[in-house]
Amino acid sequence: MANILSLKRRINSAKNVSKTTHVMQMIAASKLKKAQDAALSSRPYVEKLTQLSKTLSNKLEEEDIHDYMKTDSTAKSTLLIVLAPDKGLCGGLVSNLARELLQFDSHEKEVKYITVGKKIESLVSSLGKDISAAFPFGTRLPSFDFIYPIAALVNDYFLGKKVKNVKILSTVFSSLFMQTPRISTLLPIELPNDNVLPLKSDFTLFEPNSSYLLPFLLKHYLEMSIYQHLLESYVSEQAARMIAMQSATDNALEIASDLKLEYNKQRQEKITNEILDIGSASFAINYE
Amino acid sequence: MSLLLEIITPEKIVYKDEVDEVIIPTVNGEIAVLPHHVNLLSQIIPGELIIKKGEKTESIAITGGFLDVNKNGVSILADYAIKAGEIEVAKAKEAQERAERLMREKSTEKDFRIAEAELRKAILELRVATKHKRRLV
Repeated sequence: MANILSLKRRINSAKNVSKTTHVMQMIAASKLKKAQDAALSSRPYVEKLTQLSKTLSNKLEEEDIHDYMKTDSTAKSTLLIVLAPDKGLCGGLVSNLARELLQFDSHEKEVKYITVGKKIESLVSSLGKDISAAFPFGTRLPSFDFIYPIAALVNDYFLGKKVKNVKILSTVFSSLFMQTPRISTLLPIELPNDNVLPLKSDFTLFEPNSSYLLPFLLKHYLEMSIYQHLLESYVSEQAARMIAMQSATDNALEIASDLKLEYNKQRQEKITNEILDIGSASFAINYE
Repeated sequence: MSLLLEIITPEKIVYKDEVDEVIIPTVNGEIAVLPHHVNLLSQIIPGELIIKKGEKTESIAITGGFLDVNKNGVSILADYAIKAGEIEVAKAKEAQERAERLMREKSTEKDFRIAEAELRKAILELRVATKHKRRLV
């Protein structure tokens, strides 16, 4: 009897779990849609911005190069920005990030960290590393304001020559089923070079002048690329969570159906036993 | 011969069409771009952007950004841009009031800056919207 009751309880809890995970899956799916739209709609802007920065920096003389592009810093350390979710329950996303981080840490000597997201913050601090700043990621689509404090810190470290370069570790969204952690370099800025030299006749006027414009443009480029990484991490997080929750729902339902089978078996056994009891009892009465 | 005008913000492409003339507020003052303009790269300051196409004129409120004129194509990268017809006056007024209140209350520098930027945007939207209405009447 007690066994049947406990089975029933287990069935119920498995069903409840499946409900919760199913809801989480739905939430992740709707967030994912929004985030994907945001990431897609900012793409033309970023492409244009890259193109502009390239045009401008191509036209510059050697001595006009902005500090953002200089590579001859004397500093030794690297600033690594890590973007990770605040919450778990998203499959192997966080552990993949952690593995990448540890690998990077093992062959770089001095690394300073800026962490975004509580999961990775606790990892880095438990390793006893040098955290310059820690931000929460939040559970909503990050707004553009979010990157200003990060950009300010990055400026402070790089332009203050405290670090030789700034790298960012984030998750790249390749498909719903594939999110891979990747480290890319933010500073010094390397504009993708397609080896097409601008024609001499392609005269362009700069107002007021190119050395005035470039800092603004590059600063904006930096902010936009941080934002782009942030968006992509968010998209990856939601996709990973959606898939993880889907398989969790499937597993919970499977457990529930297994338990249900066991429960039915025991119920039938109990009924059979009862019938046997009644049968043998009535037989005994008739015998007398 | 006409100009291909593109206005792009991080959120979306606000405007993409062939136009006859466009007047843009830049750091060096307002400039009008006509077809066959020389290639130009400049910075845009917050203000009103006016598009002329045939008989029609259209206003767009724009906060800072960059301007690129290239072979009869004008690309504008704006932080934020909205067509005058789409500005919701009530919402802009509300935003203005909220920003003003925040500026009075908040003490930290970051909050103050955000509120200030919001206020500028709201005032700009209101200015462009009222001008647009007057023209319609």
